[in-house]
Amino acid sequence: MSSEMNRLAMERAVQSTPFLSPNALLLMEKASDPDHDLHDLVALVRNDSVLTARLLRVVNSPAFKTLHAITTVDRAIAYLGERMVIGMAIADSAGSLFSRPLQGYECDHVALWRHDLFVAVAAREVSKYCKNEINLELAFTAGLLHDIGKPLVSEFLKGLAGAAVADIESGSCSDYLAAEQNLVGFDHADAGSELARYWQLPVPLEEIIRCHHSPCRAAAEVRSLVYAVHLGDIIAMMAGFGTGSDAMQYTLDQEYDRYFDISPVDLSEITILAHEEFVRSESVFSQD
Amino acid sequence: MGDLIVGIGEFGASATPGDVLKTYALGSCVAVILVDRNAGVSGLLHVALPDSGINRAKARALPGYFADSGIPALISVMRELGCQANGRGMGAKLVGGASILDHNELFNIGKRNQAAIKQYLQELRIAVAGEDLGGNHSRTVTVVVGSGIVTVNCPGRGQWQI
Repeated sequence: MSSEMNRLAMERAVQSTPFLSPNALLLMEKASDPDHDLHDLVALVRNDSVLTARLLRVVNSPAFKTLHAITTVDRAIAYLGERMVIGMAIADSAGSLFSRPLQGYECDHVALWRHDLFVAVAAREVSKYCKNEINLELAFTAGLLHDIGKPLVSEFLKGLAGAAVADIESGSCSDYLAAEQNLVGFDHADAGSELARYWQLPVPLEEIIRCHHSPCRAAAEVRSLVYAVHLGDIIAMMAGFGTGSDAMQYTLDQEYDRYFDISPVDLSEITILAHEEFVRSESVFSQD
Repeated sequence: MGDLIVGIGEFGASATPGDVLKTYALGSCVAVILVDRNAGVSGLLHVALPDSGINRAKARALPGYFADSGIPALISVMRELGCQANGRGMGAKLVGGASILDHNELFNIGKRNQAAIKQYLQELRIAVAGEDLGGNHSRTVTVVVGSGIVTVNCPGRGQWQI
């Protein structure tokens, strides 16, 4: 199939992806507003009985050693953090997208969600080292969503993982993103930003998804956040949380040091904390 | 025992021929495989970072996370299976320690892991009999106890033995 036909097929695939729930979208929109407060999110969660039930079940599970039962949404959100609530809303709403085996990348059905969750916690930790203030919760949400294009691209890359790797080894492609472009005519950042537009995600999230492998191209007002996700992605791959054949096959945008001040000890600490937070977060999302 | 899956910062050993030790998706992490042929014992360690000095509490909770606390911890469990406490009689194989493309020194944890592990093994006079280190790809390692066979799997590249 030609690149042009592939692209049209990808656009059709985007349009056949189930929408995120309106409540998940509203939660993300509110959380990405720097002036929001907890009550905005509490009101939205209260309108969603499934999410409320899940939230209360999780916060009262043995994984969280609360002294007394937590019975209200506001206390549950305060205890778990906004990011966990948004993560639950995304998982409830688009779980099937995150739990597909990515055959085009030769990885199983749990790899994408585990990768995204690790990137989310790592991006949040990295954000603490940014020279300017970053919305930590938005960094987490962006980390969860940065690779939503991969399940779409994977369908076109079936049987081509070896060719993608060979393209990089031979030097004909600079990284896996370029190899995707070369083999199917678009890459997972393109596909992800198409899906973000279709889902009507808040603009900063669409920009982060589009530029997470090339943060220097991002709009100036969100560039720090894009770098946080870019570095979180790299830390996740280094820590062994990749998505198969493309793991470690991306370039580091070394301009990150204009926005972040990170020493070798800091990077080790970020890795350790991200790993510990990943283990805690994974237990939240497996409380069903 | 059958299959033992070794997670990040974990280690395990067996003296039962045919048992399988496995660790998944090494990025910059390094798998240290120690084999004592006389005792018939194989061990596997998944090292994430080179130096426990940055976080002693983590090293106490999960000694295998660091090269300098993980190797003695692995030798200690192999001693319980009949190996010598000082690591004599053991040989090593090393896998992993990859880096991303166009990395800088800061993000080359794989190289720092390799160096720390090799230095520690040299101090213990444990020879490195085989290695598959560096590059820009993720690796999964399988060790079959008693066979000396170490198999490396890599999505998009297939599998090979060292």
